[in-house]
Amino acid sequence: MDKPTMSRHISGKFNEELEAVRNQVLSMGGLVEQQLRDSLYAIEKSDHDLAEQILRRDTKINALEVQIDEACVQIIAKRQPAASDLRLIIAIFKTISDLERIGDEAERIAKVALESFNKDQQEFLLSLENLGQLVLTMLHGVLDAFARMDLDSAYEVHQMDAQADRQYEALTRQLMTYMMEDPRGIPKVMNVLWSARSLERIGDRCQNIAEYIIFFVKGKDVRHVSAESMEQTVKGGR
Amino acid sequence: MISVTPSNLQAEALDLANLSAEQTALEIRGLNLHYGSAQALYDISMKIPTNRVTAFIGPSGCGKSTLLRCINRMNDLVEICKVSGEIVLHDKNIYDKDVDVAALRRQVGMVFQRPNPFPKSIYENVVYGMRLQGVNDRRTLDEVVERSLKGAALWDEVKDRLNASAFGLSGGQQQRLVIARAIAIEPEVLLLDEPTSALDPISTLTIEELITELKNKYTVVIVTHNMQQAARVSDQTAFMYMGKLIEYADTNTLFTTPDKKQTEDYITGRYG
Repeated sequence: MDKPTMSRHISGKFNEELEAVRNQVLSMGGLVEQQLRDSLYAIEKSDHDLAEQILRRDTKINALEVQIDEACVQIIAKRQPAASDLRLIIAIFKTISDLERIGDEAERIAKVALESFNKDQQEFLLSLENLGQLVLTMLHGVLDAFARMDLDSAYEVHQMDAQADRQYEALTRQLMTYMMEDPRGIPKVMNVLWSARSLERIGDRCQNIAEYIIFFVKGKDVRHVSAESMEQTVKGGR
Repeated sequence: MISVTPSNLQAEALDLANLSAEQTALEIRGLNLHYGSAQALYDISMKIPTNRVTAFIGPSGCGKSTLLRCINRMNDLVEICKVSGEIVLHDKNIYDKDVDVAALRRQVGMVFQRPNPFPKSIYENVVYGMRLQGVNDRRTLDEVVERSLKGAALWDEVKDRLNASAFGLSGGQQQRLVIARAIAIEPEVLLLDEPTSALDPISTLTIEELITELKNKYTVVIVTHNMQQAARVSDQTAFMYMGKLIEYADTNTLFTTPDKKQTEDYITGRYG
């Protein structure tokens, strides 16, 4: 298949509408990325003010999701998009719903950051850092891939999720050891475990967005397919 | 995988390049057409499957109507027109010297952009072709009228005024009458040249509904400027540009993931 391009429509207004909605997705993505970065910082430094800010900012993300949804519905109703335009709208629809959920996970992490941990317990929080940084890299990468509709970097992010899953497992084992050593700390450790779970879920959602990008570029649905057939889609022609 | 579309609404995609003989209604082979010194069609080859709707789309002047008109040799009427290549219907090239063009046009009916009923009653319009063939038995003709008008989804609206002038019908009704006239002589292939471009949206939908019905009995080939219409009614779509067949594929594929950039640009409304 020839690669879809962002060349101009005969209808300038249609161009503007598509461009506007794409830009909105990018700013929504930027906001979500900031939420995740801040929530990781808040949890690391026990910064309660920042955590409060994160909770307040989530409504902005929700509002953007609704706005973009509406814009997409209007484009479908008025323009009857076809081929790559249609695939772009579908990809946007799905991407923003994943972005919104990533925002929710960041909010969940921020709530954990609001709790007070004693010095020993702080140690658990630090163990989140590796997974957090990895997931942040994935989110940054997938948003960048979305902005450029870049197949290769989308695929790269998709492959990173396996690493995130491994780190999550290792972290779970480590936290279980803490729980066994000191049962009184279990409630706190559980909170950390939930945060780790949130991060792991964010990784999955980045993987979803990578799949929508591949769908847009290649016109093929790569959800729930084997690794080989996915690689074939990405590397091969049609 | 579980299909979410009811099976009766969605024709299964065919392997258009490798249709078997019984699946093929028509085969066009290496067709070239010149109007004087200007070439209008370049080496068109395609197989049109039986009992399905095939749409030709493309910008004005791309040759889609010309190609359609080749299928029942309407272009013979244009003096400067020269055709080479073959169109095969029942193992016979319709451009062979010994082909009876009138007989061919009975097998391959055509409906045009503007409804063109004859200045006669509704009844006489439908039986016109039968009368030309020398059929005058009243009972036979009555049956043909009812069957054809029902087939064209017009019977209920006109059954009480069959002897009224066809000119009293609305544009959409006239177009359905013309379709009834075309199917009265039981053709195998029905060519529709922009059948709804002169009609309002509601009549258009009625005709589109009718086209979906017609394919149960006939092979339908439609030329349309309305891409959404092609997407709605056809099973496979051919995109033409500057006299060449650019892409010919299952309609679902062509409108969601076209293979060629030119197709993509056309159906999404972009500059080439």
